[in-house]
Amino acid sequence: MDDNRTTGMDSLQHALAEVNKMRRLSTAVDHVDKIIEMLSAAREQVAATLDPHTTSLTMTKLQNPTKVAFDRVNDDLKEVSGAHKKLGRALDKHFPLKPLPSDHDAMAEYPDLINRAIAMHLLREGQFSVASTFIDEAQDASAHHAPYQRLDAEGTPDDDLDELMDEDYPDVNASPFTTASTNEHQDLSSLQSQELQTKFAEMYSILQELKARNLGPAIEWARSNSVELEARGSNLEFELIKLQFVWLFKGPLVNGLPDNERNGRSGALDYARHNFGRFQGRHLAEIDRLAGAMAFASNIPDSPYRQDFAIDGAFMDVASSFTREFCSLLGLSAESPLYIAATAGALALPYQMKFVEMSKAKGTEWTTANELAFETPLPERMLYHSIFVCPVAKEQTTEANPPMMIPCGHVLAKETLQRLCKGSRLKCPYCPSEGQIKDARQIIL
Amino acid sequence: MADEASKIDHKKHLLLDQPLLRLPYELLRKNFRSAHFTTEWDAAFVKNLLKETATGSLNAKTAPEDVVKNLDVMLARMRGLKRKLTTNAEEEARLYRQLGARVAHLRELSTMHTVEDVHYESWSRQRLDRLMVDYLLRHGYNASATALANERQMQDLVDIDTFISMSRIRTALEGGSVQEALAWCADNKKELRKLKSNLEFMLRCQQYIELLRAEQPSKTIEAIAHAKKSIVPFNETYPAEVSHIIGLLAFGPDTPLPAYARYYSPSRWSQLASIFVDAHNKLLGLPSFPLLHIALSSGLSALKTPACHGAEATASSTPGHATSLTASVCPICSTELNELARNVPYAHHDKSHVANDLLVLPNNRVYGQARIHEYAAKAGLGPNHVKDLVTGQVFPVDKLKKVFIT
Repeated sequence: MDDNRTTGMDSLQHALAEVNKMRRLSTAVDHVDKIIEMLSAAREQVAATLDPHTTSLTMTKLQNPTKVAFDRVNDDLKEVSGAHKKLGRALDKHFPLKPLPSDHDAMAEYPDLINRAIAMHLLREGQFSVASTFIDEAQDASAHHAPYQRLDAEGTPDDDLDELMDEDYPDVNASPFTTASTNEHQDLSSLQSQELQTKFAEMYSILQELKARNLGPAIEWARSNSVELEARGSNLEFELIKLQFVWLFKGPLVNGLPDNERNGRSGALDYARHNFGRFQGRHLAEIDRLAGAMAFASNIPDSPYRQDFAIDGAFMDVASSFTREFCSLLGLSAESPLYIAATAGALALPYQMKFVEMSKAKGTEWTTANELAFETPLPERMLYHSIFVCPVAKEQTTEANPPMMIPCGHVLAKETLQRLCKGSRLKCPYCPSEGQIKDARQIIL
Repeated sequence: MADEASKIDHKKHLLLDQPLLRLPYELLRKNFRSAHFTTEWDAAFVKNLLKETATGSLNAKTAPEDVVKNLDVMLARMRGLKRKLTTNAEEEARLYRQLGARVAHLRELSTMHTVEDVHYESWSRQRLDRLMVDYLLRHGYNASATALANERQMQDLVDIDTFISMSRIRTALEGGSVQEALAWCADNKKELRKLKSNLEFMLRCQQYIELLRAEQPSKTIEAIAHAKKSIVPFNETYPAEVSHIIGLLAFGPDTPLPAYARYYSPSRWSQLASIFVDAHNKLLGLPSFPLLHIALSSGLSALKTPACHGAEATASSTPGHATSLTASVCPICSTELNELARNVPYAHHDKSHVANDLLVLPNNRVYGQARIHEYAAKAGLGPNHVKDLVTGQVFPVDKLKKVFIT
C-alpha cells in the first residue's frame, strides 16, 4: 500500500474487490424467503384442520423461528450497510472529493453554439445516425421548451441570462477571419440539410474504401480537387498514385486483385505510363526511382528500393493525409476542435482549481478578466499560435500592444518600445545596438 | 517546459471524473435506504400481527379461520417485501457492476504517463464521449444520449436512468404538474431536509396558487384547507413567505398589484423545474453544471490567444492556406469554437513560444526558417525564393531578415 507505484485507483480497485465479496441484499431476499416458507407451512397446517388446539400450537411454535429469521434479515441489512460504508471510506481515501467550479458557468449562455459544436464533432467522427438524432432532438427542444432558467444565489431566476436564443453565428463555410463582418444567423437545421453532412458521408465512404485497400475513390477525389490541393502545396494525389503503383506491383498474391494484365508488374508498369506523366514536373526524382526499381523486380527486399515498397503503414498514412486535406478543403481543421478543447480542459482544470483555492484562502476575488490570472501549461502540440511575451514588460502582446522588431532583430512590445525610447532614439535592451524608433516595424508572428 | 506539460499528473487528472464514481455510490446508499425502510415497515407489521394472532389463538379470542386469514395477510405482505427487496438487490448488483467497470476505466489511466502515449488519445476520446452524454442527459436530449452511449458501448460508464428519471420530473414541472416532483420529495425527505431545500415548500405553494387560479368558490375552500395542511407547517422555516402567500387569497390572477401578480406568472413553473434540478444534483453529489461546460471553459481559455479573435489571419487560423505538412488549425480559430471562445479569458503565458530561426518577410510576417523553406520546395520554387504561407506572396531570399526572440 505504501508502494508509490500503486496508484489510488489500484487501491480502490482492491477495496472494491473486497467489498464485492461482502454480503449483498440478495442474501436478505433469501432470508425473507425463508420467512415466507415458515408462514406458508404454518398456514397450511392451520387450514388443514382448523382445530383451535393445533392452531394455537402451530402459532406458538411459529413465534421463535420467525423472530430469529427476522433478526437474520436485519443482520443482513447491517452487513450490507457495512459493505457500503467500507466502500465509502475507500472512495474518500483513494479518490477524495476535490471541488469543481460551482459559481460561474461561462458556457451556460451559449447552448446553441455548444450544440452546434457537438453536432459537428459527431459528424466528423462518422457518427451520422447519432448526429441526426441529436439535431432533431435539439430542434424539437428549442421549438417547445422555454429556456432553462438559471437561478441566482437566492433561488430566483437570473433574468440577465434570458437572451439565450438568436445568437449571431458565422457562416460555417466562410473562413474564420471574416466572421466579424458576416453576422448571419445560423442554427442546427442548416447542419442537417447542408452539404456538410453529405460531405462527411463522402469522406467516410472514401475512407472505408481506403481501409479495404481500394484507392480508386480517393484518387478520383484528389484528381477533381487537384487545383486546390496544389494551391495548398499538397502531394496527396501523387502519393495515392504512387501507392497504387506499388500495390499493383506486388501482384495478385499480395493485393488480392484479379490476376490479369492490369495487375502485377506489367499492370503496374502500364499504370505508371498512364498516370505518372503529369507529375514529372514536380516529382521526377521519385518517378525515376520507381522506374529504376523495376529492374530489381525479382528481389525488391534486398534492393536499395525496399523502403519504397515497404508499405505496411502507407495505407494508414495516406488515409490520415486524405482526412486532413479533405477537412482543410472544407475550411475545417483535421482534428476535432471539441476533442482538443476538452482534453486541454482536463489538463488545465487542476491549475484553475488550485488558483481558486488559493485566492479563497487569501480572501481575494476570482474575477473574470481578459487574461487568465494563472498559468495553464499545455503540451507542445497544443500550442498552435506563436506566443510572444515581452521580456521587459513580461506581458503577452495583443492587437493593441503588438510585437515590434527593431533594426538589430530583437523584438519588444510596442508599449515597452515607447517607454524605453529617449526622444527618437532607442537603445536595445539586449545588444549594444541603437536605432531610431521610426525604424521599428510591427511584425506578425 | 512543454515536455513537463505532457506528463500526466494522475492525482490531478481525474477532477472531471469524480461524479463517475460518486454517483453509483450515492445510488447504492439511496437504494439501501429504500430497502431498509421498506423492510422495517413490513417486518414490524408482520411481527405485530403474528404476535396478536398467536396470543389471540392461545386465549381462544381468535378463531382458526381468522388465524388463516391473518396468516394470508402476513404472507401477502412478506411476498410484497420480497418483490421490493429483489428489485433492490438487482439494482445493487447493477451498481456494483457499474462501479467495477468505472474503476477499471479510470485505472487504465495509471498505465499511461504522457499525453503522447498512444492509448491516451482513445482514453481521452472516451472521456469526451462521457462528457457529451452527461451534457445531453442534463438537457433532456435522452434519445441522443442513449444512441451515443449505445454506439460507443459505454452504457456502464454513464448514468442514463438517473437523468431520464430527472428529466421526466422536470418535464412534468415545466408542463404544470407537481405530482411527480412531490413523489420524489417524499422519497428523499430526509436528504432534502439535510440540504435545507425549499423544494417541497415551493411545490405546496404552487398547488395553492393553482387552486386559487381557478377562481371558483369550491376550489378556494380547497385552497384554504390545503394551506392549513401543507403550507402553514412551514411557518417556522419560511415565516415571511408563508404569511405573504396566504394573503394571495384576496387577489385573483388579474390583480394589478405586482407583488401578488407574480405568483400567478407561468414562469414559476420553470423556476420550480430549476429548483428541482438543483436539489436533485446536490443530493446526488453532481456538479451544478454539465461537466462539458467545465471542461470547455477551462480548455477554451487555456488554448486561446489574443490572435484567435484578431483581425489578422495567421498560419494557425486559416486552414485553407496553411501548408498541409504541419500543425493543424488552432481549435479556437476553427469555426466550431471561435464564437464560443469569444468571451472567455485567454491563456496566461510567462515565456515566449516561437519556432526556431525566425525570419521576417518584407510584408512583416514572421515564419520559422525550416517551415518557410519546406513550403517553398513544395511550391516548386528554387532555393532562392520563399512563399508566404498565408498571403501566397513570393519573395527573394535576400530580402529576409533574422528575428531574435529569446
